[in-house]
Amino acid sequence: MAELDDDLGGEVVIATEVDAAGDPIVVVSGEIDMSNASSLSAAVATITATPPSRLTFDFTGLQFIDSAGLAVLIGAAAKTTVSVRNPSAIVRCVIEATGLSTVLHMASES
Amino acid sequence: MPTIASRSDRFIGGKAAGEDAGASMSTGAIPRGRAPWLAAAVLVLVLVVALALAWTSRSLYEHNEDRLLDSRVRELGLVLAGAVPAIQTPLASAAALADATNGDPEKFRAFMAPYVGPGRQFISVSLWPLGTGRLAPTVVAGAPPVLASRPSEARAFFAKAQRTRVLSVAGILGPEARILGYELNASGGGSGFSVYAESGLPRDRRSRRAGTAAFSDLNYAIYLGRSRRPQELLATNIPHFPIHGRQATNVVPFGNSALSLVVTPNRSLSGTVFDRLPWIIVGVGVLLAFAAAAMTDRLARRRHQAERLADSLNRIAAENRELYTEQRSIAQSLQHALLPEALPGIPGMDVSARYVPAASGIEVGGDWYDVVVADDRRVMLVIGDVSGHGLEAAVTMASVRHAALAYAAQDCRPASVLSNLAAFVNRSAHDYFATVLCVLIDIDSYLLTVASAGHPPPLVIDDDQSWFVDLAPGPAIGAPHHLPYRETTISAPSRATLVAFTDGLIERRGETLGVGLTRLRDTAATQRRSLEDLMEKLVRELAFDGRDDTAILGVRWQS
Repeated sequence: MAELDDDLGGEVVIATEVDAAGDPIVVVSGEIDMSNASSLSAAVATITATPPSRLTFDFTGLQFIDSAGLAVLIGAAAKTTVSVRNPSAIVRCVIEATGLSTVLHMASES
Repeated sequence: MPTIASRSDRFIGGKAAGEDAGASMSTGAIPRGRAPWLAAAVLVLVLVVALALAWTSRSLYEHNEDRLLDSRVRELGLVLAGAVPAIQTPLASAAALADATNGDPEKFRAFMAPYVGPGRQFISVSLWPLGTGRLAPTVVAGAPPVLASRPSEARAFFAKAQRTRVLSVAGILGPEARILGYELNASGGGSGFSVYAESGLPRDRRSRRAGTAAFSDLNYAIYLGRSRRPQELLATNIPHFPIHGRQATNVVPFGNSALSLVVTPNRSLSGTVFDRLPWIIVGVGVLLAFAAAAMTDRLARRRHQAERLADSLNRIAAENRELYTEQRSIAQSLQHALLPEALPGIPGMDVSARYVPAASGIEVGGDWYDVVVADDRRVMLVIGDVSGHGLEAAVTMASVRHAALAYAAQDCRPASVLSNLAAFVNRSAHDYFATVLCVLIDIDSYLLTVASAGHPPPLVIDDDQSWFVDLAPGPAIGAPHHLPYRETTISAPSRATLVAFTDGLIERRGETLGVGLTRLRDTAATQRRSLEDLMEKLVRELAFDGRDDTAILGVRWQS
C-alpha cells in the first residue's frame, strides 16, 4: 500500500465543480499516489470545512489510486456521504478489495 | 500520511538554507587567501614588462636620435659648403678682373663695392701685386687690411698662398681675433694679382644670427681647420662649452683649409612624443600593473568565494546524504523493531515470515504481521498494512498492531478482533486506514477461520494447486462504518500451506489487483518445496518492485 514515488510520482489534475443539487464534485484525473495525495487532501479539506450533504468524486479520468489517495476518501467519508463516479476497473478493484465499497458508494454513469 | 515526507523535506531544506546563509555571511569577511602574492606577482610582472618596453623604446629613441643627428650634420655641412662659393666666387672674379685690367683700381673698387661693408661678406678687400719686391696692397676697398700692418705674417702667408690656385686662408687675425683673412689669385705661380679679403667674426664668437628655421633644433659650433681648438672657433650658438651629450661633427673643405662643424640638438629631433614615450610607457605600465593586480586580487577573491561556496554546498550535500541515510536507517530499524523478533514455535506446523522494505526512499511502510498462540490447538495469524509511510506510519502501525494483539488475547475470533480494532481506531480522529487480515487456525482439525478488513485474501497451496480463500472483505480499519465483519471458515487439505501477505507482493501500477493475485497464485503453485524455499522464491520473484514494502507470513502443516 505504501507507494514510494519521489521520482515516479504520477501527474494529477484536480478540479472542483458543483452538481445540479448544489453539492460539490471533485473531478480527479491522472494518478493519485503518495507524491500528490496532499493536493487532493487540501482540495477535500476546503470542501469539508463546512461539510456538504454529499461529496462526489468523479474518477472518470483516474488511472490509479494508492492507499494515500484512499485515505483521503475515507477521511472525507467520515464527514459526509461520499460517492465515487465512474471508477476505472483498476480503481474499482482497489476500492472493493479494501472493503471500502460499502463506505464509498460507487456509481457508473455513461 | 504524506505530511511526514514533506516535513522531512522541509527539515533538510531548512538545514541547507541555514548552512547557505552561514556560508554567505562568512564570505563577506574572508581573509585575503592566496590573492595578495598572486596580485603582487602580476604587479611585478606588468611593471617588468613595462620597464622592458620603456628601455627598448628608449634605446630605439637614442639610436634614432643619433641617426637623425648624423643626417642633420651632413645636411648642415652641405649648407656650409654651399656658403663657401659666396666667398670664393667674388674673390676669384676680382682676381681675374685685376689680371685683365692690370690692377685697375677703379674697376676693382666698383666690382667689389657690393661685397664690402658692414653687414656684407667682407669688411676689407685688397689687391696685392705679386712678384714685386715690396709686398703691399695697391688697392683697398673697405677697411685697411689687418695683414698689411704685419709684414712678416703677410710675407709668410703670401709665400705659401702663391703656390696654390685656390682660396688660401690666412687664419684668425687682429687684436681681438675678430678677423678672418683669405686670399685668392687667379693666375697662380707667384705672378699677377692676389685678392685678399678679411671678414669680421662675431664678438665672443657668439653668432647673432639665429639658425634658419630648418635647423632651429640644432646648436652648432664652426671651427677653422680640423682641430676644433677653442682659439679656432669661428661662430657658435652653443651657450656653454665643452659640449655635453649627443653631438656630431662634419668637416667641410674651405679653400686650402677646412671648416669643422659640431652640432648638438637643442631638443628632441624625433619629436617630443618619442622623447617622452619611455616615460609614457612606464606611467601607463604602472597604472596597468596596479589595475591588473587589483583585478587579479578581485578574481582570486571571487574564485576563493566560489570555492568556499562549492565546499559549503558539498558539505551540505554530504550532510543531507548522511541525514537521509540516517533517517532511512532509523525508520528501518524502527520498522524491524516493531516486528516480532522471533515467531513462536507451533507444534505440528512450520512458520516463516519475511519483511522486504521498499528499495528506495527514506520512508518505511506500515506493514506488520504477528503469530499469536491462542491456546494449545489454535493459533492466530494477523497481517496488516497501515496506509502512509515513514515514522508516523510506523508508529501508527505499532499502535494498531498492539491493539490487535490485545483484542486477540481477549477474544480470538477474527471478526471480533477486527470489529474491536475498527471501534478503537474510529474512537479518535485519524487520517489513515489499515487493512488487516486475521486467520484463526485450528491445527488439529485443519480449519481456517478468516476475516478481512479490506485486506487481500490468503493463499492456500496444496502441492501444485493453489487458490485464494474466497471471502467477503469488510471495510478497511479506519473507514467510517458500523458494519460487522464476516468470518469465512474453510477446511484446509492436510500438508497445506497458507500464505498471507500485504499488497506489495501483488500490486503493480497499471494492473488490476486480479492480475497480481493470479501472478502470485501461479508463482506459488509450482512443485513442492520447503516453506523457506517458497518464501524465498516469493520474495525473489514478486517482491522486486521496490516501490512498496512487503510482508509475507507463511504456515504449513508438517507432514
